Amino acid sequence: MTIGNKYEIQRVIEFLQENKDRTAEVNLSDIMRLTEVMAATVSRMLEQVQPAVTAELTAIESEISNMKDEIARLRVADMKHDRIPQAGRELDAIVSSTEEATHSIMAAAETIMAADPEDAAAYQETVNDQVMEIFQACAFQDITGQRISKVVGTLNFIDERVSNFINRLRLHQAEGHDAEETEEERRARELILHGPQHAGEGVSQDEIDAMLGAFGSTDKGNDAAAQDDIDKLFA
Amino acid sequence: MALDLQMPILVVDDYKTMIRIIRNLLKQLGFTDVDDAADGAEAYEKMKERRYGLVISDWNMEPVTGYELLKQVRQDADLSKTPFIMVTAESKTENVIAAKKAGVNNYIVKPFNAQTLKGKIEAVFAE
Repeated sequence: MTIGNKYEIQRVIEFLQENKDRTAEVNLSDIMRLTEVMAATVSRMLEQVQPAVTAELTAIESEISNMKDEIARLRVADMKHDRIPQAGRELDAIVSSTEEATHSIMAAAETIMAADPEDAAAYQETVNDQVMEIFQACAFQDITGQRISKVVGTLNFIDERVSNFINRLRLHQAEGHDAEETEEERRARELILHGPQHAGEGVSQDEIDAMLGAFGSTDKGNDAAAQDDIDKLFA
Repeated sequence: MALDLQMPILVVDDYKTMIRIIRNLLKQLGFTDVDDAADGAEAYEKMKERRYGLVISDWNMEPVTGYELLKQVRQDADLSKTPFIMVTAESKTENVIAAKKAGVNNYIVKPFNAQTLKGKIEAVFAE
């Protein structure tokens, strides 16, 4: 409360004290005087509060305007209607082409496996034909590489804009908040689903063999060495 | 102990290409009776209908994973002794430990080769 407001309230208090012992009925003049005193009080209060409220509203308007600019810079429509669907189509095409290539390579290998080596000439012709099929099928790698580059470009585009958005709107404080676990995350945690590991991550087949040996599997003679390997895994 | 090349083997994987790869590798190793299933639920149903000499299963499948299938098989009195090899890209230490505790006989990490598959099958039947 400001000094000005105190002064005005004091005037209302004084008015009420001056009239507290009156026995006569309240007349129109009394009401007019009280109204005058209170109107002056309210008027002074509004005059003092208004600039602060106006400043706050202006600041909020400015923040909303900034946020709209930042959202516009995100190019959400571009991402939603063009880049992300396009990246999805590229990934679908990658899955499809690798599947097709794998099928071709395996079919060629199966044809070679099934060929009769007794007929040397026919066998050699079959092998040569199927090897050519394998070479041709491997061409998928070139196109797949180009498609992956486009998807990576889209991810970089999104990453750059979202990062700028977070920086400009100073959203970092929200990063520490624990997000609620989704159903998919719960399933992955409970069923220990990590997916494939990158090179150098996870454990190798040799380390797995050592661990299984240490648990009392097939090779009892290697328990000591296996335990060392396990210790390394947990180091 | 010589391997019984006529024993029925169940390969469980949701990726048809991987089933085809394992089928071909088993064929190369001399196994002739190979069946397949696309996830743990389908595999369990097949196991209730037919006695398999060996199950080779992936881990990460939907709706029922290979890990769940392994636990289900080990809790089933009729199936609990079935040899079970996990073939998976899940290569975290906790996966190996969990599988072993659940009763897996061996564990192969993808990608693998015919020699590894042969070695693990032989190790399981040497136990």
